[in-house]
This record gives sequence, structure tokens and C-alpha cells, in this order.
Amino acid sequence: MAAATRRRKEGHVKTILRLSVNGKPREDAVADNTLLLDYLRDALGLTGTKQGCDGGECGACTVLVDGQPRLACSTLAHSVAGSAVETIESLSHEGKLSQLQRAFHEHLGSQCGFCTPGMIMTAEALLRSKPAPDRGEIRAALAGNLCRCTGYVKIVDSVAAASRCGEPRA
Amino acid sequence: MNAPEQKALLRGAKARAPHGVGARLPFVDGVEKVTGAARYTADLPAAGALVAKILRSPYAHAELLEVDVSAARQLPGVRAVVTGDDCDMPYGVIPIAQNEFPLARGRVRYVGDPIAAVAAVDEQTATAALALIRLRVRELPAYFTAAAARQPEAVLLHDNKPGNIERAVHNEFGDTAAGFAAADLVREENYDCAEVHHAMMEPNAALAVWDYERGHLTLWSVTQVPYYVHLTLARCLKMEAAHIRVIKPFIGGGFGHRTECLNFEVICALLARAARGTVRLQQTREETFLAHRGRPESQVRMKLGLSRDGRLTACEAEVVQRGGAYGGYGLVTILYAGALLNGLYDIPAVKYDGYRVYANTPACGAMRGHGTVNIRFAFESLLDTMAAELGLDPIEVRRRNLLQAPTDTINGLKITSYGLPECLDWIEAASGWKERKGKLGRDGNIGRGLGMACSHFVSGSAKPVHWSGEPHAVITLKLDFDAAVTILTGASDIGQGSSTIITQVVAEVLGIDYSRIRVIANDSAITPKDNGSYSSRVTYMVGNAAAQAAENLKRLLVAAAAQRLEVSEAEVDWLGEAAAVVGEAGRQIGFAEVVEQALVATGTLHVKGSFTCPPEFQGGKQRGGAVGSSMGFSYAAQAVEVSVDLDLGKIIVEKVWAALDCGFAINPMSVEGQVQGAVWMGMGQAMSEETVYENGRHKAANLLDYRVPTMAESPEIEVHIVESIDPNGPFGAKEASEGPLAGFMSALAAAVEEATGQRFRILPITPARVFAALADQPDAVAPAPTLARGAA
Amino acid sequence: MNALPDFQLLRPATAADAVRLHGLHAASRYLAGGTDLLPNLRRGLLKPAVVIDLAGIDDLRGIAEVDGLLRIGAGVTLTSLAAHAAVRVRLPALAEAALAVAGPTHRGAATLGGNLCLDTRCTYYNQSETWRAGNSYCMKLDGVGCRVAKKSKRCYAAFSGDVAPALIALAAEVEILGPQGPRRQPLIELYRDDGMAWLTLAPGELLLAVRVPLDDAWRSSYEKLRVRGAIDFPLAGLAVALRRENALLTGLRIACTGVASQPLALDGLAGLLGKPLDAAALAVIAEQADLANRAMKTTLVDVLYRRRVTQVLAKRLTQRLWEAAA
Repeated sequence: MAAATRRRKEGHVKTILRLSVNGKPREDAVADNTLLLDYLRDALGLTGTKQGCDGGECGACTVLVDGQPRLACSTLAHSVAGSAVETIESLSHEGKLSQLQRAFHEHLGSQCGFCTPGMIMTAEALLRSKPAPDRGEIRAALAGNLCRCTGYVKIVDSVAAASRCGEPRA
Repeated sequence: MNAPEQKALLRGAKARAPHGVGARLPFVDGVEKVTGAARYTADLPAAGALVAKILRSPYAHAELLEVDVSAARQLPGVRAVVTGDDCDMPYGVIPIAQNEFPLARGRVRYVGDPIAAVAAVDEQTATAALALIRLRVRELPAYFTAAAARQPEAVLLHDNKPGNIERAVHNEFGDTAAGFAAADLVREENYDCAEVHHAMMEPNAALAVWDYERGHLTLWSVTQVPYYVHLTLARCLKMEAAHIRVIKPFIGGGFGHRTECLNFEVICALLARAARGTVRLQQTREETFLAHRGRPESQVRMKLGLSRDGRLTACEAEVVQRGGAYGGYGLVTILYAGALLNGLYDIPAVKYDGYRVYANTPACGAMRGHGTVNIRFAFESLLDTMAAELGLDPIEVRRRNLLQAPTDTINGLKITSYGLPECLDWIEAASGWKERKGKLGRDGNIGRGLGMACSHFVSGSAKPVHWSGEPHAVITLKLDFDAAVTILTGASDIGQGSSTIITQVVAEVLGIDYSRIRVIANDSAITPKDNGSYSSRVTYMVGNAAAQAAENLKRLLVAAAAQRLEVSEAEVDWLGEAAAVVGEAGRQIGFAEVVEQALVATGTLHVKGSFTCPPEFQGGKQRGGAVGSSMGFSYAAQAVEVSVDLDLGKIIVEKVWAALDCGFAINPMSVEGQVQGAVWMGMGQAMSEETVYENGRHKAANLLDYRVPTMAESPEIEVHIVESIDPNGPFGAKEASEGPLAGFMSALAAAVEEATGQRFRILPITPARVFAALADQPDAVAPAPTLARGAA
Repeated sequence: MNALPDFQLLRPATAADAVRLHGLHAASRYLAGGTDLLPNLRRGLLKPAVVIDLAGIDDLRGIAEVDGLLRIGAGVTLTSLAAHAAVRVRLPALAEAALAVAGPTHRGAATLGGNLCLDTRCTYYNQSETWRAGNSYCMKLDGVGCRVAKKSKRCYAAFSGDVAPALIALAAEVEILGPQGPRRQPLIELYRDDGMAWLTLAPGELLLAVRVPLDDAWRSSYEKLRVRGAIDFPLAGLAVALRRENALLTGLRIACTGVASQPLALDGLAGLLGKPLDAAALAVIAEQADLANRAMKTTLVDVLYRRRVTQVLAKRLTQRLWEAAA
């Protein structure tokens, strides 16, 4: 009963959130207690970003905030006010896959695909700061992203292949 | 949110270059996965959907005296509340072992057993409603180990199962007594394996729409087996199957977790009907752990006889599995463990006693390598130990026990192709076994070691779970005015790439470009029924059906081409994208023109292909003979190299070399991915993964405490494919995904033995166990011999 | 999935504002990187009416050398901390500890202050609301008694931050801002051995910065025991700072984490100074590591193992630094 009566009758208090998502400026009324993950998925329909665990242990929800990987399930939407958020949906350009996406596709870095958006976004940040990482550096940078299908080998292959392509990065 | 989203889009020259089978084709649904466009169940748009929440038992075992949902029903925003009263039909994947209700009736049997469920306008309201449900119970004694549940005075979890034994299996093939008598060395050891869980990355979810006017239900779910879900929904909701539609969107892995209908799928449907609307049910990771269905905690007593030169003379094994609260696939698991002692090596006599035991923990079920994994750990481990005693090399002792295909095993398994010898040769060479085994030495506080083991698995069960008289697999190809070939299949691509494999098979037979082919999968309103993705059946059975369908279509096309070219069919040179007259390359027509002719007077073509395992493959007539029967077995060997920090007990897997005989690699890249995934999943079980229950309460129901390995400590896994060309598989192919798993554990144990001097017979081999073993605590290394021979 | 409870979010621009806002809202919590607090909120472990987000406070984010000290703002992320040149070169234990936390993406958000103030952890506490309710809760939240030590009057939840032991071994101080103004104290005094009240901060007090002496005569290192190579909290973690002059040990500080409700500094090491580090000295270190150790069944990993390994880490890390300093 207590939980029921604690609920606010009018729902959550919302305030205006200004930020950019995938290059587009946005202004949305967002409840203070909204996670970045729920804002992206529920309010913006960007369901590429996944939820795989209950507490930031799997990395499937990784997005970029001002170019840095961030767990959208452990970040409040309002905490990234004024920032540039990038999700998996932003990487392909005019329908063409990015090098990293193409590498994951062609080297089978993605099997079931559920960890893939988080994996690719983490790798994207790595390649922007370090265009030619070795396999050890790739493994270290992606160690917080769990995958249950691949045993990781072809994920490392994919990132290594993308890094060899040398496509200019943002 | 419908199946057409899954059509294959293959663009770019690179994707076009390879052709048909044997090509390293990227997954046909891969673009959607890397762009985030792929919609998984939780991603499906459903504006205004109600939110479902499940009230779960906090008791491990209790009689439910009253479930009072009156206050919950009255909470504003609550649209439906369902309890055990709303479904009185028990279900279960095995028709003779249906003892589970979607919502508990009269009794709860594990912490987490669903009792009631709510659909409300939002999550907070649903959660608040759950808090208003009042339970009155009488707690019962609860049992958390197989041994406790088997005590004579134990309360029965299910009244018709004395001793809480779900299934006891006793069989003997050959004469084991004579075999042991003839042996030069007989040894017996006990092995313990902790319970493990699939931990696929996508948590469980379902979406149900109830069409009140028509009385129809549509359910989207994460299932590997839409057909079994469909049957279960019809049964539990007492509906005509014709009024139900089941759709499987993109799925984030399964590994066996989803090979039977799970309670949340029925609950979601019950709520949608009760609420007369759309209900979304998303489980937390914790709830997904509680749905369990993983590999059971197992005790194995293994006894082997060897001649002085390393020939196996007899095998005797006893297995006890803690099956959890309900049947599920349990009896298959306990049967497989025994039957698949055979089929890897030539063993003249095998005796097996298996006990599947009910206990107050989440129900176990099928998990990658179903039934074979823990007993393979025991077998391979003991074989190593005995070989060492006889002074034989581990690879050599296995070579002395190889089968010779084609052959029938003593329990009637048909071995039609057998690439294990080549697998052994490759891992021996690749790992530098001859030069390095036993010579890796010690580097300060770092010990080093190398170990190896073999394993195998079925390519689908030759005897189907549901005997309906239908073929084992059916594929439909649709050809229409657009000259596109649409594959309609009920086979569930759960990330393993089955849609890609089927596409390659069809492309190969027809000789046409991939870009002409699209796959529509898993919508019961559109696609033919398929038994589902389990026991590695899809490539073999559905692949064969796809090849037949494509052959049937090709016959029609050749006939049409002959008509249009005004020659006989024998004179048609089928080029795939075109048809020409034999010997007259100039006289040819394009594929679109052939199709135009084929559609004259008949219109859209639907061509079917099917596959049925011939009766002779469905097992011998003797008791127990049908179990484990399959048309093809995959074979794997792997070598594992470790280093061990002897101060801390920490094992690092430095490298794995894995060879797999998958018959023929329809997609070598995908085979490599499957082998790497399987080996690595074996590593998780061997080193760090285990469920932990305290008084039945799961203490590791999250991805922090249930330690799925991370990229940081996961090794490079080099894969070699052996192609034995199975006589019955599609283009010679067999399964590729489950066989390589079971060898990892004992290969690791062997490597750790070389590094530390300790042979572990308990899984997982955690740092704490290694540390304790190095401090001379024998119970860290091996279980106490508690199995009572012939008990129960 | 488990949604967050209702709360109001405040985003002050200065530390003084944050402290003032905390004073206005009794049931408020500071939020730094959120990697620990937000999962805990989702599990229902906290129900603050107001959350004060520190992310917008620029003056918490600097790293500067002042008077032979490195002053590190509490809002510096663990990634930035580990990448800072002075930290990498002159305070290796700190860099190693920061890099040992969770996974790389966590470290990009998680802050120094957040890691130092990390909530204590226990297998009976870090669970969902339904889990804890089914287990009749425990004294740390909503319940009575300790599930780890049945008759205990105190809570044994373990402090599991990696960075604190490194900074304690490096003799760091903390700057704190409270309603009464700023104050400074040794980092070790920030803690007490109580799983429910492990921080000595007064209500509303905010960690501003850490001050670490930069003394190149000292060598330091941190080693963490965990099952996996990433993500895991420490089963035990140990930092050593050591000064060697020729054949003599002239300074030694050892601190550990994960084995009590607070990070611990080892006592009884003074007697080892002025002598070479020999086997007897290592035995004393091991003995002191065990005496300090109060590991309880707060994790799923064996307690005895965590205790013994703490001793091993203490000995071998000290020995390594000693040899490297030769």
C-alpha cells in the first residue's frame, strides 16, 4: 500500500532537456529521474541502444557522450544536458555503413547482434582516439562490453580490420 | 514489427562475389544488426501497451493457501490481474512430462515461481499492484541438492514421482563386467559440475496483442521454438491454434534457454486476454536468471577400463542431476548424458545409471551441448589420468580408440562420417604438442601447461520431440512476377545464422545471385511450421529441406526455360542467372524471362521441400536405443594452453586450438564463429560461471556475480575446419555449434594439472580452488565420493 | 525493467551551491559519475527526494601541482586520473588502482570522489527489492540484523573501492566542504569500519579534492584480486608505497581494500624500517595483513581465500617494489 500512495498523482516533474542527439539539436520535456537509455529508446525511438542487465554490467547500452563511451543505463538524461550524444543509428552515412559497421558485418563481429550497438560504439570511441590499436589494446578498451555469442575473437578481428581501413574519423 | 523487416538486403560488390555454399558470406540479416535497425522484442513499437509485472514466490517450497488479488485489482491504472486460477492446464515441452503451470496452482516450488501477474498502465502502477497482493501459505521442507531431495523422508515436489526422481535411466550395452575383467587398468573417479546458465545477452521479453472482437491472439517473443510456444499457448489458453499467431523478431541469443515455451510467454498472453489489449512484458536480468533452464548441477561417477596399450574395454557411469522444480527438457538431459557416452570413441561396453532429481531450485533444461558436457568432462578427464598412469600420450590414447565410419555404435547410433582423426592431427601440429607438451616449465611463480580433449554432438535428434507424422523440416520457396525468390521458413535465426545458411543452400542449388533471395522467417501466419532451433538440427534438417525445395523449383524453371527456348529440358544449360541451350551459348534468356514463362497459366509459384530422417536413423530397437540418435555427429578436438599464477591461483588461458569436423562448412566464417563461441562458453563454465543458491535464493542472478568472461581474460581461439562430407547432410554438412563446447573443461583441467600438479575434478576451477589445492586442501580438487551405487 | 524512483534533480554550478542545496533538502544525495549510485537507485537501495548532480561543477575537475603536492579534484574521472602524466609517472599505485576499477566505460564516467565514497557492498544488500524482501532485508537497509554474521550488532558490508588504498598508501589528504566551510584531513580518517556508516563525513559535506604528496623517493604499486579481467569489484586489493635507501627500508605504507567495511592501513610496520627487507620482514608484513583483515562472507568468493591472498599480495608487492628500488 505504501508504494502505491507514495506515487505522485500527476506523474513525474519534467524539465526541459537541451542536447544534441545524432547531430540534431533537441529540446524535450523530460522527467528528472529519466535514464538516458529510456530517453533514447522510449522518447526518441532510438531502440538500437540495448538494455541487457540491471546495473551497468554488460555494456549493451553504450553510447557516446561528447565522443566518450557512456553507459546510458547508468546515466541520467539531464546529466548530459548540453552534450552531443551519438548512438548506433548515427554511424552509417546516407545509407552507407561506416568502416567499423562494415567490418563487424563482414568479419562476423556480430552474431545475435544484441551486444553489437554497444560494442561498436565503444570501439568507435577507441578508434577515434587511437586509430591503430593492437589486439591487446582493443581487448582492454572493450573489456566492459559482454558478448555471449562470439567468444570475442571475431569482434577483435572486426575492430582490427576497421582500424586498417584508415577511413578518416570524426 | 512484422516479419518482412527481416528480409535479406545484400548490397555491394563484395557481398555478390562469393557464390552459394562454401562462401564466407556475411549474415543476410547482419546489416540491420550493425546499424541498430534490427528490432528485438523489447524494441517493437506498441504505443499504449500495458506493462506487465510478475509476482514471484519468495518461498522455496510452500503450499499456496490463498492468493488475494482484490486490492491489486482495485488500484487505479491496473487493467488485469491473473493468477493460477486463470490457467488450469499444465504444460511442458515433453508431452509425457507436463507438470508446470504458467502461474502456480496450489504449490510454489522454487524462489521465483510465478504466482500472479499484473498488467497496468505503467511500470510503477504494476509494481505497486504487486505489493498489494496478499499471500497465505504453509511452508514445506525444501531441498536444494539432489541428495537432500532423494532422502527417503523427503516431501515430494510432484506427487507422482517417488523419491523425487523425475527419471531414472539404467542401461547396459555390451558386457561391461567382461570388459573390466579384460582390462589391464581400471579406475573410478567422481566429478562435480556446478549449475550454469545461458546468460544470452537479451533479457526475456514478450509482447501480446489480444483482438477482442475476433478472439485472436498475436504474440511476439524471444523464443527459439515458436511452434512449441504456439502449441503451449493453444493448450494453456484453451484456444484454437488457428486463432493464434506467433512471431519471432530478432533474437539476442538463446543457447537453449528458449527451446521450450517459458512461463512468461503464457503469462503475457493471459494478461493480454484478460486486459483485452496489448501487453508488454520485459523481464529484468534477475528474472531471466530465474527462468533458468540451464545445465544442471551434476555429480558423475566414472569408471573406465583400459588395456595396457590404451584400448578402452568398458565404461560405467553414474550421473545425478539436480533438475530443479519442474520437468522441462529434464528427461532428455539425463538420457542424452548416457547415450552420448557413445559415438565419440569405439567402446565395446557401456553401462549407465542416470538420476534426474527434482529440487526446489529453478528448473534446468537444455543448454548448448545438452546432456553431453558434464559427463564428457568426467570421461575425458579420467581417460587422461589413466593414460598418464600407463605412460601414454593423451592424443595417442585417443587415437587408439577411434571409430571407423560408417559404423553403428553398441547402442545403435549410426556414424556416417568421422573426421576426428584429422582434428587430432591438426591440434597436435598447431599447438606444437609433440615438442611442447610436458616441457613448458615454470617461470618463477608462473606455471604453464597444455591439455587437450575431444567432444561431439548430434546434428538434430532423429526422433522428434512431438511425433506428429509430419516431416522433420519444411521449407517453402515463393517465386513471383518480380523474379525474386522468397524463402519462407519457420527456422529460428537466434543469432547463429540459420537464415544465412538456408540462403546459401538455395543460392547454390539455383545458381542465382544472393540479392534475388530474401528470407521471411518465423511468422506462423506466413511461414511453414518448423520444430525450432535446438539440438543443432537446423543446418542439417532445414538445410536438406531447403536444398530439396530449391531442386524442385529448379526443375520447374528448367522446364520453363526449355519451353521458352523451344528445346528439350535435357538441352537446357542452367546458368542460374540465365538459361542457355547446350552448346549454343548465344541462345540464352535471363532469369526474369525464365520466371515469366514459368508463371504462364499458373501464376505465383510456391514450391516446397521437406526432410525426414529415415527410420533406420531413428535408433535401434533395443531399450534406450533411440536416445541420442542423429543422422550426423560433429567431432571436435581442442588443445588449451594456460599459465597459472601459483601465488594467487589465477589461471590465464593463453591460447586455444580447436578443430571441428562439421562435415562441410556451408559458411566457413560462420563455422569459425560458432566454434569460437562454443569453446569460449565452455571456458566460462570451466573457470568462472556458476549459479549460487542460498536456501533456494539465487545469489548470483546478475552479470556481476554470474561471471561471464570478459574480453580482457578471453583467449585467442584458432579454428581449423575438417570436412568429412557427411553422406546425408546438405552438401555434406553437419552441426558446428555445440560439439566443440564439451571438450574445453577437461582440456583445461589437463593443462592446469601440468602447470600446478593438481588434477581438478570439480567445476568451475576458480582461483580460490586452485589456491586451496596448492595449499594441499584435497577437497578443493575433487568431490567426496558420495554417490551411492544403485541408489534409489 | 526497474525504473528509478521519483526524485527532483538539481544541477548546481559550484561546490558551495551544492552544499547549500544539500542543506535545503535533508533527504538528498550527491550524484557524481552515477555508475554505482544509479544501479543502486534502480534496485531500490536508496530513495532520495532530491538528487544533486555534481557533473556541472567545473572546480571539482582540475588536477594541479601545488607545493610538492598533486591536488586532484574529486570530480576528475578515473580515466583522466590514470592518464595524467604526473599520476602515471610519480604515483603509479594511483594510476594502477584507477585503471583496475570496473570496465573502461565505467571509468570514463566514474569519478575519484565517487570511488572514494563508494557505498559498501554485500551479497545480501546489492540485490533487488524483491530479493531483499524475500530474505527479510538486513540491517543495512529496511531490516534487522546482519545476514553475514548472524549475531552481529554491526553491518559487515565491505568497502570495495580500488582507489582509496592506493591513496592511503600515498599518504593522501582530502579537502572537504561542509555547511561550516572547508576542512582537511588525512584520507584514512574519512572512513570507519561500519558497513552502514563507513564515511565520517557530516551530513551535507562534500569531498572537494585529494592532495597527494609528490615524493619521488617513494615507489608504489596497487594489485587487485578479481576473477575476471574487468568489471569485477575487488575480492581484495592492496597498495604498497615504499622508500628504500641503499640496502635499507626507510619507508613503508601498506593499505588494503575489499576486506573490511573501510580501506585499511596496515599497522606494525615501523619496526621494519632502518633494516633490509628480508624474509623475516616479509613474514611480519604477512602477519600484519592478516591481523588487519576482516573479510566476511560479503561476496560469493571464499573468505579464507581472500584473507590468504591479501597476505600474498602484501608480501609480493612489497618485495617487487623493494627489488625495483635497488
